[in-house]
Amino acid sequence: MLRVFIDLMWYFKQEKWQYGGGIAILAVVSVLSLLPPYIVGVIVDHISMNTLTEQILWQWMLVLFVLAVMVYILRFVWRILIFGSAIRLARLLRNQLYEHFSKMTSSFFQKRRTGDLMAHSTNDIRAVEQTAGAGVLTLVDSLTMGGFVIITMAATISWELTLIALIPMPFMALATSKYGSMLHARFSKAQAAFSTLNDKVQESMSGIRVTKTFGYETEDVESFKKESDHVVKKNVEVAKVDALFDPTISLIVGMSFFLSIVFGSRYVVAGEITIGQLTSFTVYLGLLIWPMLAFGWLFNIVERGRASYDRVRNLLSVKQDIVDEPGALTKPPKGDLTFEINEFSYDQEEEPALSSIQLQITRGETLGIAGRTGSGKTTLVRSLMRDYDIQKGSIYFENRPITQYTLEAIRTTVGYVPQDHFLFSATIADNISFAKPDASYYEIIQAAELAAIHEDILQFEEGYETMVGERGVTLSGGQKQRISIARAILKDPEILVLDDSLSAVDAKTEETILQHLRDIRRGKTTLITAHRLSAIKHADQIIVMDQGTIAEHGSHDTLMDRNGWYRNMYDHQQLESLVHKGGESS
Amino acid sequence: MIDRHKHLLTPLPQGPVFKRLLDYAKPHWKWLTIAMILLIGGTGAELIGPILIKIFIDDFLTPRVFEFQPLLLLGAGYLFLHFSAAIMNYSQLLLFQKIALKIIQKLRIDIFAKVEKLGLSFFDQFPTGGLVSRITNDTEQVKELYVSVMATFIQNIVFLVGVFIAMFYLNPQLALFCLVLLPMILTIMHLYRKFSSKYYAEMSEKLSELNARLNESIQGMTIIQLFRQERRMNREFQEINEGHHQAWYKSMKLDGLLLRPAVDFISIIALVLVLTFFGITSLNNPVEIGVLYAFVNYLDRFFEPVNQIMQRLSIFQQAMISAGRVFRLMDHDELAPQKQGTNEPIVSQGDIEFRNVTFSYDGKQDVLKNISFKVNKGETLALVGHTGSGKSSIINLLMRFYSIEQGEILIDGQPIESYTNKELREKIGLVMQDPFLFVGDVKHNIRLFDDTMTEAKVKEAAEFVHADSFISKLPKGYDHPVGERGSTFSSGQRQLLSFARTMAKAPKILVLDEATASVDTETETEIQLALEKMRKGRTTIAIAHRLSTIKNADHILVLHQGQVVEQGNHKELLKQKGLYEKMYLLQQGAEKLEESPSN
Repeated sequence: MLRVFIDLMWYFKQEKWQYGGGIAILAVVSVLSLLPPYIVGVIVDHISMNTLTEQILWQWMLVLFVLAVMVYILRFVWRILIFGSAIRLARLLRNQLYEHFSKMTSSFFQKRRTGDLMAHSTNDIRAVEQTAGAGVLTLVDSLTMGGFVIITMAATISWELTLIALIPMPFMALATSKYGSMLHARFSKAQAAFSTLNDKVQESMSGIRVTKTFGYETEDVESFKKESDHVVKKNVEVAKVDALFDPTISLIVGMSFFLSIVFGSRYVVAGEITIGQLTSFTVYLGLLIWPMLAFGWLFNIVERGRASYDRVRNLLSVKQDIVDEPGALTKPPKGDLTFEINEFSYDQEEEPALSSIQLQITRGETLGIAGRTGSGKTTLVRSLMRDYDIQKGSIYFENRPITQYTLEAIRTTVGYVPQDHFLFSATIADNISFAKPDASYYEIIQAAELAAIHEDILQFEEGYETMVGERGVTLSGGQKQRISIARAILKDPEILVLDDSLSAVDAKTEETILQHLRDIRRGKTTLITAHRLSAIKHADQIIVMDQGTIAEHGSHDTLMDRNGWYRNMYDHQQLESLVHKGGESS
Repeated sequence: MIDRHKHLLTPLPQGPVFKRLLDYAKPHWKWLTIAMILLIGGTGAELIGPILIKIFIDDFLTPRVFEFQPLLLLGAGYLFLHFSAAIMNYSQLLLFQKIALKIIQKLRIDIFAKVEKLGLSFFDQFPTGGLVSRITNDTEQVKELYVSVMATFIQNIVFLVGVFIAMFYLNPQLALFCLVLLPMILTIMHLYRKFSSKYYAEMSEKLSELNARLNESIQGMTIIQLFRQERRMNREFQEINEGHHQAWYKSMKLDGLLLRPAVDFISIIALVLVLTFFGITSLNNPVEIGVLYAFVNYLDRFFEPVNQIMQRLSIFQQAMISAGRVFRLMDHDELAPQKQGTNEPIVSQGDIEFRNVTFSYDGKQDVLKNISFKVNKGETLALVGHTGSGKSSIINLLMRFYSIEQGEILIDGQPIESYTNKELREKIGLVMQDPFLFVGDVKHNIRLFDDTMTEAKVKEAAEFVHADSFISKLPKGYDHPVGERGSTFSSGQRQLLSFARTMAKAPKILVLDEATASVDTETETEIQLALEKMRKGRTTIAIAHRLSTIKNADHILVLHQGQVVEQGNHKELLKQKGLYEKMYLLQQGAEKLEESPSN
């Protein structure tokens, strides 16, 4: 149960002064909290015995006041020490997670949903922070405060009465802990219901066009109602347990008071304790409520914290799929590129995604890759980035296998424009200069011009400083693609890979971009995959992929002579593009 | 985001928000009353306890008079009160929570239903992420509001009032004296509220910044890695994380200064007050120890509710802001075009006519200029033109997603506004370029919400559009699960499914937004066949990218910058010797495989 404290020991050790100081102050505050009830007892006794003088009264009141000020300051200080450390832990873990994410390859992100990763980085870290803050507090408080109060009661008043009064107290700790774990289980279900509702809304909003097309708005609202019923039901389950806490506590406390009054008065009658002592006794008893509650809470905080911390640690312990080999070259490779992939599959059980690929690309050449969806085009070009290791065969840069270079080196060499253009919520200029944040405006504009997006950008009110993303302008698919291309152009990589990244730009713009690329890519290698064959027509080599292997290979002219898939597709597209150009006089 | 939606980002002011939150509670007044009665009963029962002890101390213990019967009565009374308090309190706590949950459900359904009613013009402009968070996260915050207001504020205020009543009963003079505490507490509350609203707003802003960055980074990690920006992004994230940490630290300090430690400080001061009062009184007059006992006891209980209330203050404020945003959206008036007039025409033929339609999305720039055309039953109209030429706008208007300002659209000779939504949606089938699939199974995606559709009919529709062949190959066939956005299906398969979905409703009019990117060759043939079959006997309006669609069309509309530059059928257009002819001649050279059109 309390294992999480051991798991977190590394942090407590790291922050030993903070935690040590905080705990010490907590203990002092616990001792000081015992004084007011004692003073109440003293005054009551003086009153009942008519021995109270003004001087005694003022003296004690002054003590009380000084005490109040001291406790106030100390309470503030331990909060800063303990809670401050806890939130620093949250900051630390969050940084660690982020850094860890940045080391993971795409297979890691494909296996996990963004929402889950977000939950680990927010809710789970929050729960760990609670453990390191409130968890430590409840542990220390229930031990010190509870211990001191009980010792004081037993030592200064009556140990027998203390025992009697304490009889109901363990039930409170037991009950709160039991309720707590019930609550947690039900709460998880309520959370799950809420997240289903969230998914439902997300889907409804994304699919609103379909819903409206079919006129199913009312039905959709109905199905939302059902989901929300579910949420209510699960939350009522939570409320049923949640509502148990307060009544149980006051019932048990009431019992304790009852017992101490009933038995206490016997001791008073027997002359063993004074009425004043009995009064203090009940006040002490009141002081015990918090430690008992804390004890019950402790278990819940810790239970949650442990589960969360385990999840975070699991995530952090995921090994990097791809690691640099010892002695790997750090110098980014240049020169010829050779594919010799005998077999590659994402998953051992699955059909190979690539097989028997032999390809030689001389530095400065352009390779065009065609083929239908799922034929392995993207897998082939992405293998250059070493997202996965190839099981049989390898890719050679300058005749050295890819594994002999560091990832850093390879990623410096290769510039990749992915199919699904992804832009960050930042200005257009920031997005273009992503790989080179200190790029001058001149460079940025040049890249944008080469990617044929400059004119579009000037149309925006704020030009290059226009924000993109949810809070900014909405860009068309073609505009996003061109910004992605500009981003890669600015990097000016040794090998540029365009993975179907011209699909959303019109034929004319495509031609302009390709022309620019031919100019600036002189002497450097370029790989282009495309559905539209016009994009790869001018390539030095063209391959047609089919079921993970090369089906056709040659230049445009040789492939046209072959009368195969390439020829068929080319003719077909030619017709369509001509038709399409009908309205394109711009 | 456009100006029309900017105001949705600023929440409604607190006054009206509060009133509307109350309105939501109104229908539950009966149960609320019962809960209130239980609350008062429970609180009363709990507060009488110390008075009974006081009676015991003053009347029995101090004078050492122990009569069995009254003592038994006293003891039994004490126990009874505690047990009944426990039961009443449990009931009222549960009841309040239930009511709060019901209210939130209503609010959620209302906002969801409202959003569903909004026109597509809204969805085309307002980011989806923001909408989702209004409907779920913001209402979840409002739930906190009801739960905390009802469960904490009301409860604790009732408790506080009860404590004061009990104190007045015991010693009015001293109780009056204790009222001095109120301004002190209120001052602290006010101070806390003032600062915390600022600090918490800052913190939640930093938190959402942090989450946004995290979310974006997870999604764009490939890009970050490919461009080797891990170090920079790590650094930037650390900065954001640090900013969030600072804000958090600040509000933690504020909590430390003004919350529990401060209230505890006041509680000791209160004790000083009470003891001094009794002490000084006792110098001249005898005092009842029992009363002192009870006072000390009440004071002890007095401050916990204050703590509770104060701790909820920041949540309360956040929730008010969330509620303000929710209501702001609920008030947004951008409804989908609705039926006008009283007669209810029916689409029986499917003739479509556009008469001098001019349209603009923003009221400034016309995206359609004076468009007229007519398509009769069973004919196909192909819209040709590049992005931004106005093709999609014609479809948006025909689907009545937007209402027209100038000109007329007639279906079977009746203005489009005169049809009911149901009639339009049933008779006009739209196939989108990028088909959206819902989570569920294949069957559900064809049937959607139409529960009356039989399995046979689902299969029939799938067969009709040649989707059956791939569906029946799936491990679970028609029950095969469809994941988020149907990502496990190829784009061609998704398209076939969306065809089946449309055909299952057997619309009179078919509106096609053909996909530009050609899908894999195998599905491509299926799609071609399906499209041909779907068009047969139906009025079809197509944003055409496929040659076959265009050539076989009865009318072709060549659009440029919102204007019709050429129109006619294939032959007529050839005769016009314009753009189309030029295009076609070019095509002749390349075309060897396809036959010349039959019509």
